[in-house]
Amino acid sequence: MNQAAAGPLEGIRVVERSAGVAAAAAGRLLAAMGAEVVLAEDPAGTPLRREPPFIGPGISALFAYLAAGKRSVVVDGATALHRLADGADILIDDTPVEDRVALGLDPAAVRRRYPRIVHVSVLPFGASGPKAGWRGEEVNLIHASGEGYLLPNGLSVELFPDRPPLKIHGHFACWQAGVAAVLGALSALWSSTGQFVDISVQDAALAVGAFAIQRLGDGEVEHRTTRSFRFGGVIECRDGYVELLTLEDRQWQGLVKLMGDPDWAADPALADPVSRSAKGKEINARIRAWALQHPVAELVARAQELGVPMGRYNTPAEILAGPHENARGIFAPVAMLGLGPVPVLSAPVRFGPDALPLRRGPPDLGADQRLLAQPAAEVA
Amino acid sequence: MAGPLAGVRIADFTVHAAGPFCTHMLAQLGAEVIKVESAQRPDIFRKPHPVYGRLGAATFDQVASAKLSVRLNLKHPRGIELAKHLVAQSDIAAESFRPGVMTRLGLGYDALRAVKQDIVMLSVSASGQSGPDSHFAGYAPLFGAWGGLGWLTGYPDGPPVEMRHAMDHSVGLHAAMAAVAALHRRRRTGDGSHVDVCAREVAAAAAGDALIEAAAGGTPRRWGNAHPRMAPHGVYPARDPDSWLTIAVADERAWLGLLSVMGRRDLAGDPRFATEAARHAVRIALDAIVADWTRLQDAEEAAALLQQAGCAAHPSWDTPHIAADPHLRARAAIVDTTEPDGTMRAAVGVPVRLSATPPRGIWRGTPQLGEDEDRIFGDLLGLDVGARRSLEAEGAIL
Repeated sequence: MNQAAAGPLEGIRVVERSAGVAAAAAGRLLAAMGAEVVLAEDPAGTPLRREPPFIGPGISALFAYLAAGKRSVVVDGATALHRLADGADILIDDTPVEDRVALGLDPAAVRRRYPRIVHVSVLPFGASGPKAGWRGEEVNLIHASGEGYLLPNGLSVELFPDRPPLKIHGHFACWQAGVAAVLGALSALWSSTGQFVDISVQDAALAVGAFAIQRLGDGEVEHRTTRSFRFGGVIECRDGYVELLTLEDRQWQGLVKLMGDPDWAADPALADPVSRSAKGKEINARIRAWALQHPVAELVARAQELGVPMGRYNTPAEILAGPHENARGIFAPVAMLGLGPVPVLSAPVRFGPDALPLRRGPPDLGADQRLLAQPAAEVA
Repeated sequence: MAGPLAGVRIADFTVHAAGPFCTHMLAQLGAEVIKVESAQRPDIFRKPHPVYGRLGAATFDQVASAKLSVRLNLKHPRGIELAKHLVAQSDIAAESFRPGVMTRLGLGYDALRAVKQDIVMLSVSASGQSGPDSHFAGYAPLFGAWGGLGWLTGYPDGPPVEMRHAMDHSVGLHAAMAAVAALHRRRRTGDGSHVDVCAREVAAAAAGDALIEAAAGGTPRRWGNAHPRMAPHGVYPARDPDSWLTIAVADERAWLGLLSVMGRRDLAGDPRFATEAARHAVRIALDAIVADWTRLQDAEEAAALLQQAGCAAHPSWDTPHIAADPHLRARAAIVDTTEPDGTMRAAVGVPVRLSATPPRGIWRGTPQLGEDEDRIFGDLLGLDVGARRSLEAEGAIL
């Protein structure tokens, strides 16, 4: 394996104790970038092994995704965990604050034992502050950080104005916290100072929601019913949906051409962006009526030729079969028990022309128990 | 506070949202970020933005804050020369143009490597640096659509949902992470790298489990606010107009806690709700019972009571609630910054708390265009006043 393919974090050792998605996502990203990540599991295994959706008897798609590339060691009690953490560069832990002292996982105890380790705590609301002890699942956290309240927007809120606001699919907020945890861990490691890194899912989701706070400072309280583009957005076609967004004048001109230069679009009142915005509702009615007559594939192909930003709302199956995705090799086939090789997205970043490899599938519980018996230096 | 990345210098050619958010995060962590613009091609925050009702330049722009500013005309050969001098003094060169633009400007990876052998070039784009769609332009809603997150998000009986700025900034957060990873490789091997951050792949990565489900022959579905295991789980109406309470019952402790706070411990013995699987099977009926209670509650008070009882809950917050929250402020997740006219406004901190090398944070607001040229062109690149004046006269610094 050449340097580029090996991943930038070759040689970095990580021990991960995770029950939730955020901490597991951090370990997963580190593993994909080449770090040696050992999942330290209780004898029952991490609860993530039991989270749906399942893709076979006892095989969680969520666990398969989050644990691909990791090793698994069962640690029964604090002593085994400490043996595993000896010599590690990074320790990731999402044990609730109240349970940490008993396990020797409070910051002071970890500091005493491993002065050089980067100790990363990943919790729903962080390890400090008035809500440090609060529980939080994805639905709570995406709404505690602002984006939930602002969703859905556009067509969906137009159709269902009275429904509760909506979370983003899956574990978006927790995933951001995983990324933030890696950013924090690698930054701490860069400073060559062993320390405690305190990551909160709420903070991370709020950070990527920065624009709504920007708008607040500008004097505008964003709301899901009003943060829609005046026209475009989610558009239904004959056989699916596209996203259409024309922010620049030339993109609007391209759209007019795409629609076949209809008479209504020649109205001089639509010539400038401001008056177009004012007539957004009428324009959108026209666009929607037109798009319903056409298949997605035809529209997106021509839109790209004309410089109109338009993209298909891809289903997961369409992404798996996507020519672009496959040309970029974003899926690595990994073995899963009883299923044979399954394509798994390795990582959304790369460090050269080639996608990062995934070195192995999700580990069986305790598959790497031998690591407990070895001195740290021999672990590879 | 210098931050963990003190000493790292970044030549920042990024524009719009995703790229600048990346370098803004790195700036808060202590990197010296030198934002490159020109009066001819200023970044969007220096221009009116009619879509958001802004008629002039922004007085504060989150993603431009904590950075230094210089002017460089990248359409001028001597502007390019100067850009290379800047890169030669930097650890990272970050950009977010369409793939191919930097190469056309004479600032492609090979050209940058020629002036700085171990440079980390960070490219952030809609569809990545390679592949048949790499030339596609895109905004956050398109990344979300291409990457599957848009299709998977929504009410189960409704259309897909458009992703907005959170998608852009997620791309930026991933890019910041990758940049520091590339620095570690350089430290270990001496090699730089060309880091390729692809926005549609960032969207797909947030739904990686759904992709596995589909690959294994399953059919991922749109769950809305429901969950494949937990029930009750969702966003419930609270007492005040447009106020909502999120509740997620993760285990038995949370279930019994919810019942006790609702004053419905009678349901604990109800065989319809005896197990998690049983509750999930009748979740619509269960949601109605929970909503009957939440409709009478203040969302804040109910959330605090539920948390005390061991059940995950939180109100759905708008931005004024977030900006005022003592918890987020105690963590510096929300910080105050000062506008040029002295008024205070809230901004978001880097979502990383470090015990030994705390982040530098937002140490300055939005720089004026070219505000730091004395320091960068003068002190760093060693150009005297005469040289700078003549570069201005010929349009290389503009």
